[in-house]
Amino acid sequence: MPLTFIDIEKQKTWRIAVFFLLLVFMYFCVTAALVQGILLIIFPFQFIKSGFPLVTGNLLYLFVVFVFSLIIAAIHFFVSSLNAVEAIMNNLGAVPPDREDGIHRRLINIVDEIHIVTGNKRMMRCMVIPSLSMNAMAVADLRGDSVIAITEGLLSRLTRSQTEAVLAHEAYHILSGDCMETTVAASLFGMYAAMIERLQALGEEDSPGIYPVFFLFWILLKASQLLSMFVSREREYRADAASVRMTRNPLALAEALHRIGRNADGSGFIGSGLEMLCISDPQETAQQEEGVWASLMSTHPPIKKREEILLRMAHASIADLEKRVVKAGVASLTPAQSQGQYYVLNPERHWQGPCTVADLVSFPWISPRSWISTGPGQEVERASENVLIHAALAERITRSGQEFSPFTCPLCKQALHEISYEKTKVYQCNYCRGIMVDDARLPRIIVRREIACTERITSLARAATKDNQNRILMRKMQGKAVCTVPLVPCPKCHNSMMRTFYSLAYLIEIDRCNYCDIIWFDADELAILQCVIENKMTAGSDTLAE
Amino acid sequence: MLVWVPVTFIVLLLFWIIIIYNRLVSLRNEVKNAWTQIDVQLKRRHDLIPNLVSVVKGYMDFERNTLEKVTAARTRAISALGVQGKALAETSLTQALKGLFVVMESYPVLKSNENAMQLQEELISTEDRIAFSRQFYNDLVANFSTAIETFPNNIIASSFAFHKTEYFSVGEDDKERPAAELYSRTR
Repeated sequence: MPLTFIDIEKQKTWRIAVFFLLLVFMYFCVTAALVQGILLIIFPFQFIKSGFPLVTGNLLYLFVVFVFSLIIAAIHFFVSSLNAVEAIMNNLGAVPPDREDGIHRRLINIVDEIHIVTGNKRMMRCMVIPSLSMNAMAVADLRGDSVIAITEGLLSRLTRSQTEAVLAHEAYHILSGDCMETTVAASLFGMYAAMIERLQALGEEDSPGIYPVFFLFWILLKASQLLSMFVSREREYRADAASVRMTRNPLALAEALHRIGRNADGSGFIGSGLEMLCISDPQETAQQEEGVWASLMSTHPPIKKREEILLRMAHASIADLEKRVVKAGVASLTPAQSQGQYYVLNPERHWQGPCTVADLVSFPWISPRSWISTGPGQEVERASENVLIHAALAERITRSGQEFSPFTCPLCKQALHEISYEKTKVYQCNYCRGIMVDDARLPRIIVRREIACTERITSLARAATKDNQNRILMRKMQGKAVCTVPLVPCPKCHNSMMRTFYSLAYLIEIDRCNYCDIIWFDADELAILQCVIENKMTAGSDTLAE
Repeated sequence: MLVWVPVTFIVLLLFWIIIIYNRLVSLRNEVKNAWTQIDVQLKRRHDLIPNLVSVVKGYMDFERNTLEKVTAARTRAISALGVQGKALAETSLTQALKGLFVVMESYPVLKSNENAMQLQEELISTEDRIAFSRQFYNDLVANFSTAIETFPNNIIASSFAFHKTEYFSVGEDDKERPAAELYSRTR
């Protein structure tokens, strides 16, 4: 059993070469048979006389057929794979990474690092697919263009070393020429499918000679699909091994695969034939089947097996992995909570708490002169005397020195400031704390969990959702929309914004401007929306009733 | 007629020598190129450090020691001479920076300062780049050494004076690593 990644690479190399040679051989058989079929149609009588020969002994004839089929195949390959990268990226809606976003900048840095570790042999661009599912893919075409694409969902959920491992895996696919082969294979299947459709159309009319040819194509097609799936599975193991060789970190790749594999949000829908290019099969994670037939027909090896191989290299077990992943998920939310609890004297002269520093600072009436204490019977001090709270309050003041933007707050009519929320750029009003977000940036903010969901926000979220549920019922009963609060103007174009719920599952009211594609959230509404989606507080769910 | 046999033999031998010689030359040049790449990344780190120090200075009044260590290590690294001297200075700079990152973890307010986070990300990326370019360089050196030392090639290598190059490693720096797993905590 190979223990190191070098051994795995050596073992799999010659098998892939053999498989691929078989594949190439079959492609040529098919095109030769196609040519035979064409000749059959054009010169049926000669063929019937000589008894349907599929392969004749005439060497010159065979050679001509071979060359002819080679030319046709070559033309088809080049024409369909020439601009494959552009076509696929447009199809998925991929965009280049946003330089103003902290996590996208990290992605750009990681791609630069990958270039360094592969010696700058090939320039690979990176693009981000604006989908909340978790997947990554690599595409290359015959023009030499190559792209690594990663979804927003995956980018925001993995740590830095895990992202490195995933991108190294994809980069290897490009550098070893796998992507080009796969793109070409995908376009070939398109040719077969089109051909079979045409034959089916023809077959209704006549010529018993057509049927055997049709059957032959069908068999060859299925066999080549099977073979190509073997090849692509071997390639995945090889790419895993190469990723470990580049990053020297098998544990990170195992963790990333684990997260992708158990993800309930799915791996998204990629077009037919392109599954081979992704890091995990979208259909496999959806169905979670194992067993002989499923593993024969899938384009990727089962994730469990890949994890096992990687973990063996890291001398760890799957149980360890589970523990680490759970701990990491919890750890990313605790920085706020581990800071210690404070009690604060509110304007009504009542002690309020215990709450964390984040909660404290979010009270609208908090000031450096408020009295705080760490517990009953403990010393009471001014908020400004506590180092952490002082720093947090100072942060708020220095923040107001930040850049003004040309947009105005719809409620306060003051200029909005650029701030960084969940590592991406949004515009906030310092007076009412309302936030303006670009439509394209909203999915990222929802997925990311840098900012923890405080108690206050959670209770506000529940109250708001229940309130809106009741309002919908009232509207249904009264039969017409009752709008008690006037519509606000858009910060950019000053037209009235549309007031809707974010979605019928998540009943948070937002204002949306469809001309500028921006969304306006009143104070706290963005945090509430994040909290609602994170905790899945849909109408009628259990989390709502707590 | 028989004279053709030794002639073809000599011609084939010449081809073989030329092919191997060219391969050794290109390997050696790749090694040299990878070496200069490391320098590029080291310089980038030197340029980023003053920015980070000035940003965090305001928040971390009590950590003057750590900050001063970092600045001093940087000055030493810029003025270091010779391969060994440079390697030692760069390693001590890495150690000082690791100490600084650990200290930054205990200031949660820094997490909300976008500038500090950005600079920290850039520095982490630079450390990674240095590590990766070292790794790439060492891999190439290993390739080159294998090519020089294996049997048919070593004859040609020694007759044309191809010498082994040194690996880029400074020995014991890994033993002093602090216990905190930095890169997995600082997202």
